[in-house]
Amino acid sequence: MKRQVLVLIALAAFLAAPAAFAGDETRWINVHVTENSSNTNVEVHLPLNLVLTVLRNVDVENFHGGHVDLELDEDMDIDFPEIMAAVKDAPDGKFVTVKSDEADVNVHKQGGTLFVTVNQKEDEMAKVEVTVPLELMDALSFGEENTLDVAALLQSLDTLPNGELVKVTSNEANVRVWIE
Amino acid sequence: MNGQRGMSTLGAVLLAGTAGLLTATLMMDWMVVDVHVVDVSETDDIHADVPVHIKVPFPLVLADIAAGFIPDELLDDAQIPPEVTAQKELVLATVASLLDSPDMHLVKVRTEDANVDIFKEGDTLRILVDADDALVRCNIPIDGVLAALENWDWETVDPQMIFDVLHAAENGEFVTVATDDGVRVAVKMW
Repeated sequence: MKRQVLVLIALAAFLAAPAAFAGDETRWINVHVTENSSNTNVEVHLPLNLVLTVLRNVDVENFHGGHVDLELDEDMDIDFPEIMAAVKDAPDGKFVTVKSDEADVNVHKQGGTLFVTVNQKEDEMAKVEVTVPLELMDALSFGEENTLDVAALLQSLDTLPNGELVKVTSNEANVRVWIE
Repeated sequence: MNGQRGMSTLGAVLLAGTAGLLTATLMMDWMVVDVHVVDVSETDDIHADVPVHIKVPFPLVLADIAAGFIPDELLDDAQIPPEVTAQKELVLATVASLLDSPDMHLVKVRTEDANVDIFKEGDTLRILVDADDALVRCNIPIDGVLAALENWDWETVDPQMIFDVLHAAENGEFVTVATDDGVRVAVKMW
């Protein structure tokens, strides 16, 4: 009898294991930095919830409870939500193209994602690629006193598919930030 | 006859006392400080095992009691800077969130002269530093740290915090520091 009970418990545990793992939907923010000159390699993997908890509890000069003070000049009257809505509603295509001796800059929208690319042509020869899923723009929330809710922005990463957010390659260092 | 009965009663009392003492000893948390000196003129391996150790085992409860004799004036004088007190909520929330997080390899750093790894395994935060001139292993009980921080007034130095953390530490290695001059100090919990 005792043996049968043990077998049943083992069987139940075996069947429940996949369900338990399937329930683990932790999202991770990953940062990978390599410095070419010193052969330094840094990898940081943080659960999104941990990052959010920290952000919401930081209370320093320009950052309170997940809100950063943009410190904009009072004379500037920028309607950020309207700008965001305009970008979101715009059709796919190239928004900005800058070509100069120092760097080329490209901003284009494709398939619900905004891509910003900067190619530096001197010094560190850096290439910066920033990927902004437009769902993030819905999460951009501006307060009355020129504050941006960074925590809400990061919270929205939770709903995004896995993918790269920032990639910087240069002669000196490479940086990659992605969510999974 | 009476004398014989008296002896057996004394024996029984002694036996019960010894058994009680042994049980209490086994149930207590013990800390062992293990100092280990490697002759670096003979070996380059600072982790080499040599037979000479200085081991100092002591029950945590004794250290706990001893800490109670630290004069209050000394502790009152050592005030915590207000900048630290102001971060109480941030620190508590961060540690609690870390405790709730799944197991993970949090940080991995590789440089030419040092490697650093920070893992979370269960309720323990494992910190491993392998540098050219030193080796550090640290297993921090996150739940113990959280309990200690929650009980702390965040204004004065409280030795009790250390014991809260040590009591929560898992059995085995708590901290090990080995330097290239051949000294290895390990604090183990038992």
